[in-house]
Amino acid sequence: MEESKKVHDIIDIKNLDLYYGQFQALKSISMSIQHKMITALIGPSGCGKSTLLRSLNRMNDLIRGVRITGQVLLDGKDIYNSGMEITELRKTVGMVFQRPNPFPLSIYDNVVYGLRVAGVKSKSQLDEIMEWSLRSAWLWDQLKDKLHHPALQLPLDQQQRLCIARLLAVKPEVILMDEPCSALDPISTSKVEDLMHELKKDYTIVIVTHNMQQASRVSDYTAFYYIGNLIEYADTKKIFTAPGVKQTEDYISGRFG
Amino acid sequence: MQEHFNEEIENLKTSLIKMATLVDEQVERVITALETGDAQLCKGIKAKDREIDIYDNLIQTQCENILALFQPVAIDLRFVLSALMTNNQLERCGDIAVNIAQRVKKTNDMQSLIKESHILEMGQQAKLMLKEAIDAFINNDIQMAKKVVDSDEIVDNLNKQIFNFLVEKMKADNALIEPCSHLIVLIRNIERLADHACNIARNIVFYVEAKIIKHQARLNRQTE
Repeated sequence: MEESKKVHDIIDIKNLDLYYGQFQALKSISMSIQHKMITALIGPSGCGKSTLLRSLNRMNDLIRGVRITGQVLLDGKDIYNSGMEITELRKTVGMVFQRPNPFPLSIYDNVVYGLRVAGVKSKSQLDEIMEWSLRSAWLWDQLKDKLHHPALQLPLDQQQRLCIARLLAVKPEVILMDEPCSALDPISTSKVEDLMHELKKDYTIVIVTHNMQQASRVSDYTAFYYIGNLIEYADTKKIFTAPGVKQTEDYISGRFG
Repeated sequence: MQEHFNEEIENLKTSLIKMATLVDEQVERVITALETGDAQLCKGIKAKDREIDIYDNLIQTQCENILALFQPVAIDLRFVLSALMTNNQLERCGDIAVNIAQRVKKTNDMQSLIKESHILEMGQQAKLMLKEAIDAFINNDIQMAKKVVDSDEIVDNLNKQIFNFLVEKMKADNALIEPCSHLIVLIRNIERLADHACNIARNIVFYVEAKIIKHQARLNRQTE
């Protein structure tokens, strides 16, 4: 790791096992996610990368039959501790999904949704945070004159960035992205990737992607998973130039998976 | 897709082997001409160099296409990068063979001076290094590649020794200034040949071990 990149861990995963019924999807995963860095999780379908991503804000809790052991420490606190407030956790660790999922509401109402749920009523406060969130997601200039138009009428990349703006409004620390560009064309993908690069200044991003080029372009660190195991986790430059494990090399160079 | 990619990599490797074989033959011929003083052996060297130049362009295009179309990573990326660099070194070796041939024509009546100065020994050593570098490339032979890199010192020492010898000759006899000047240019070419062989060997280390060993000795000296 380069000296200049040394920062503290925001998430510390310790011996995490996850079972769907009898099936073990994650096998004793231990890794640390660096603060204000982009970490890519890669691996073939079924390797556990999306399961791991969803474990970071307890989205797997919604699935019946899931059993989790081990720890996920967020700023030192175990998110699986019974005292953890899930709504607070999901505000701190927000998620962007494969397909943009704006609510069938106006652009404005989408962005302030989380704030209203949290009880913010002041119009001026909502306006202020809404504008800041849209600016942060590079949408303000395009959308400022149609804030009350339906969000679902926006092009897909704007919908995806609107979902990011909706997250930013509730001031997360970590943004989880589950193949956020897989429904987007190359130009829209490039806009979302540029935005990720900008967001990295203030947020920690963990992204699951099937696109090797995307992982190498956007991330600082890359973790390679295979059948529930963490095979290699290192600086992205190292993973894509001289990986330490043959299996990683075979995967990233397209020899399997 | 993987098969298509492997095919392109194989084609690139085949082009490099063909080019390396041509370069090896050219160098073999000019060094033999130097040893025997038989300038006739140098005939056709320039025409053959054109074939090497054609391979140079072909290999550059093959590398460009692979990079643009397949975006290789890790060991595959290192292979294409080392192929590009090796292509460049081989093309330079081809040019050096032409330069040596020109000097052989001008120095074929100086056999006793050539023998006395150890130029033949230097030529043999450089030729051997190039041959071994090419073999190491074909067989991904790291040990052989490292041996080539280590041998560079032999050629460097011979270069210094022969240069001093030729300078002394010129000082002693004005009539030897012109022939010795040709021989100094000649040893400079042979020394460059050995340098290129070393660079080819370093490319193999980069490809196989993901280590950049260029300028290693100098950089180590500066940090000490």
